[in-house]
Amino acid sequence: MVQKELTILNRLGLHARPAARIVQTAAMFESDIELTKDHVTINAKSIMGVMMLAAEFGASVCVTAKGSDEVQAIAALEKLFNDKFNEEF
Amino acid sequence: MLVLKGIPASPGIAIGRAIVVPGESLATTKHYIALEAVSGELHKFQQALQKTMLELDECSQKVRATLGPEYAGLMETHKLILQDPTLKDAVIHKINTDYLTARSAISLTLGELAANFDKIEDPFFKERRNDIFDAGKRLLANLEGNKRDFLSSIKRPSLLVAHDLFPSDTISLPEKQILGFCTDVGGKTSHTALLAQSLNIPAVVGLSTASKDVANGDQLIIDGENGLLVINPDRYTLANYRQIKREIKKTESLLKTINHLPVITQDGHRVHLYVNYDPRTDNKYNKTLITDGLGLLRTEFLFMNTPVPPAEEAQYKIYLSVAKRFDMRPVTIRLADLGADKMPDFALDELDEDDNPFMGCRGIRLLLKNPELLHTQLRAIVRTACEVPAQIRVMIPMVSSVEEVRHVRAAFDQILQEFAEKGKKPLNKIALGAMIEVPAAAIALDGMINDLDFISIGTNDLIQYLVAVDRVNPEVAHMYDPCHPAVGRTIHNIIQTAHKRSKTVSICGEIASDSKMLPLLLGWQVDSLSVTPRMYLRVKNNIRNLNFEHCSDMAQAALLMGSSAEIRNLVEDNQYENS
Repeated sequence: MVQKELTILNRLGLHARPAARIVQTAAMFESDIELTKDHVTINAKSIMGVMMLAAEFGASVCVTAKGSDEVQAIAALEKLFNDKFNEEF
Repeated sequence: MLVLKGIPASPGIAIGRAIVVPGESLATTKHYIALEAVSGELHKFQQALQKTMLELDECSQKVRATLGPEYAGLMETHKLILQDPTLKDAVIHKINTDYLTARSAISLTLGELAANFDKIEDPFFKERRNDIFDAGKRLLANLEGNKRDFLSSIKRPSLLVAHDLFPSDTISLPEKQILGFCTDVGGKTSHTALLAQSLNIPAVVGLSTASKDVANGDQLIIDGENGLLVINPDRYTLANYRQIKREIKKTESLLKTINHLPVITQDGHRVHLYVNYDPRTDNKYNKTLITDGLGLLRTEFLFMNTPVPPAEEAQYKIYLSVAKRFDMRPVTIRLADLGADKMPDFALDELDEDDNPFMGCRGIRLLLKNPELLHTQLRAIVRTACEVPAQIRVMIPMVSSVEEVRHVRAAFDQILQEFAEKGKKPLNKIALGAMIEVPAAAIALDGMINDLDFISIGTNDLIQYLVAVDRVNPEVAHMYDPCHPAVGRTIHNIIQTAHKRSKTVSICGEIASDSKMLPLLLGWQVDSLSVTPRMYLRVKNNIRNLNFEHCSDMAQAALLMGSSAEIRNLVEDNQYENS
C-alpha cells in the first residue's frame, strides 16, 4: 500500500472537470485507489465520490493506492495535482 | 381553446399537430420481481447502460459543434456518472438481493446518491446533484419503451411539446419534421432556446404545464413572437394566425430584395447599421445578411454555466472566429457585463449578495474588482488583433466615471506593452469606447470623452435608470417610457458632446429597432445603430424610406416638447402619414 498527502493547487477546487480528470487517471490503474479528506474516504474511480468530497483550493487530500501498480498510480495522481489538473486557473 | 403564456425563445409562428414527448420521472414506489426474473432485469439494466453510453458518445461531437464546449463537457461528466462503480454496484445489488425491477433499482439509487449531495454546503458542488438526475433520467429513458427512438421516429411535420429537452435530444431531432417546439422549463438563453434560434424555428419555453395540458394530435399554434402557446385554437384565432404567418413570409421575401442596397435615407444621408451578433445562434439566414459590421458582441455567455472563468485561449478562439466572420468590418466586443441578472457560477472576490443588483456591482465595477477577469479578456482581444487585420472596438459596460475609463485604458496599455515586448502588435489600432447607460456618465460625458474613442448608448438600461423604473416590476413597468422628454434630451446631449470631439455614437437597445423612434434617432444625428439579425432588414428598409431633413425637423421639435404624450403623438402621427 502506498499513501501520499496532496494539496489542491487550482484556485477553484475539485469541481467537475478536475474530478473527471482524477477519475479518468485512476481508471487507468488496476490498483484500488481512495481519496480521504476530513475523515471522509471515497473511491477515486467514482466521479460522484470525488465530487462529493467538495475539496476546495488549499485543501489537503490523502491518496491511498493498493495493488500491483500502486506506485505508478500515486505518481500519476501526484503529477495531476501538481499540474493543477491542467486547468489554466 | 386554451392559451398558455411562456417566454418567447425563438421568433416566428408555427401551426401544426402536437407530439408530446413522454417525461421521465424518478419513481419512489418499489416494484418487486420474482427470483427467476433477476437475470432478465440485470440484462435490461446492462443494455440500457450500454445504449446510453453509445448515445452520449455520438452526441458529444454534435453538441460541441452546435451548443459549444460547455455542454459537450457536461456530456462527458454524464458518461463518467453512468460508468461510476458506486451507481452500478448499488443498482445491481438492489436487483440481485432486494428483487427490485431495474427501473425501481435505478430510481432508488439515484435518489440516494442525490441525497448525499444535499448535505454539501458549497452551492456549486450541491448543484451537481442535477447532473446525476439528468444522467439517470437518460438511462431510465433507455430502459425498454424508448424515448430516443420515439423522437427519431417522427415522420410528419409536427410541433414538439416536452417538459424539457436534453441537449442530446435536441441533436437527435429529425430537423425537417420539427416545425417548432415548446417546453415547460427553460429561459431565454437555455440550450433549447439557442437550438431553436440556430435552426430558425419558433419556440416558446417556460410554459410550466404545457406537457400536461397538451395531448398528442392536438392542434397547436406556437407564437414565438409573443411567447404564447395556443392549444386547439378556435376558427377565428386560427385564421388570424394563418394571416399573420402569411404576412411575415411576404415581408421577409420583400425585405430580401434590399439586402445588397446601402443604408441611406431617401435624401442620401448615410447611417451605419450594425448587427448584434451571437455566435451560438448563427444560422443560414444570418449568414446571408450583408451588414456594416458587428455592433454588439455580448461576452457574458462565455462566463456562464462554467465552474471556472474562461481561459485566454478559449476566448481568443471565439473572438478570432468572430473577427474572421466579419472580415474588415468593425467588430464591437463588449467586456463582460456580469452581475445583476447575469451572475457566473464561479466564486468572485469581494462579491456578496446584492439587495439591489442593478445598482450594485456589475459591468466594469465588477471587472475592476476582479482584475484577472479584465486582464484575461483584454489579452484575448489583443491577441486576436495581432492575428487578423480586423477593426476591433472594445466597449466598457456600465461606466459611471472617468476614473473607470482610465483604469481600463491603463490595463489595456500595459497589455499592449507586454505584447510589444514579445514583438507583437495589433495589425489595426484597437478602439476603446464606453457604453453610456448610467445617467451620471451621460450628463458629465464632456469629462470623459477625451479618454474615449467612441460612444455607444445602451438605451434599455439608460431609460430604466433615467425614469427610475424596473421593467420587471408590473406595478411600474408601464412607466418605462422611451418617449419621456428626458430620454430624447439625454440622447441628444450625448451625441452633441461626442460630435464636438469628433467621436461617433452608436445606439443599441430595443429603441434602435422601434420604427416610431427611428426618425428621432436619425434626426439627433446618431452615427450608427445596432439591431438583432432578425430586425436588420426591417430597420434598413425603414431607414431607406425616411427623409433625413424631415427627421431633423421632427427631432428638433421633440426636444422642445415637455411631455411624453406630445412626443408620442408626434412620432405616431408621423408613422401614420408615412404608411
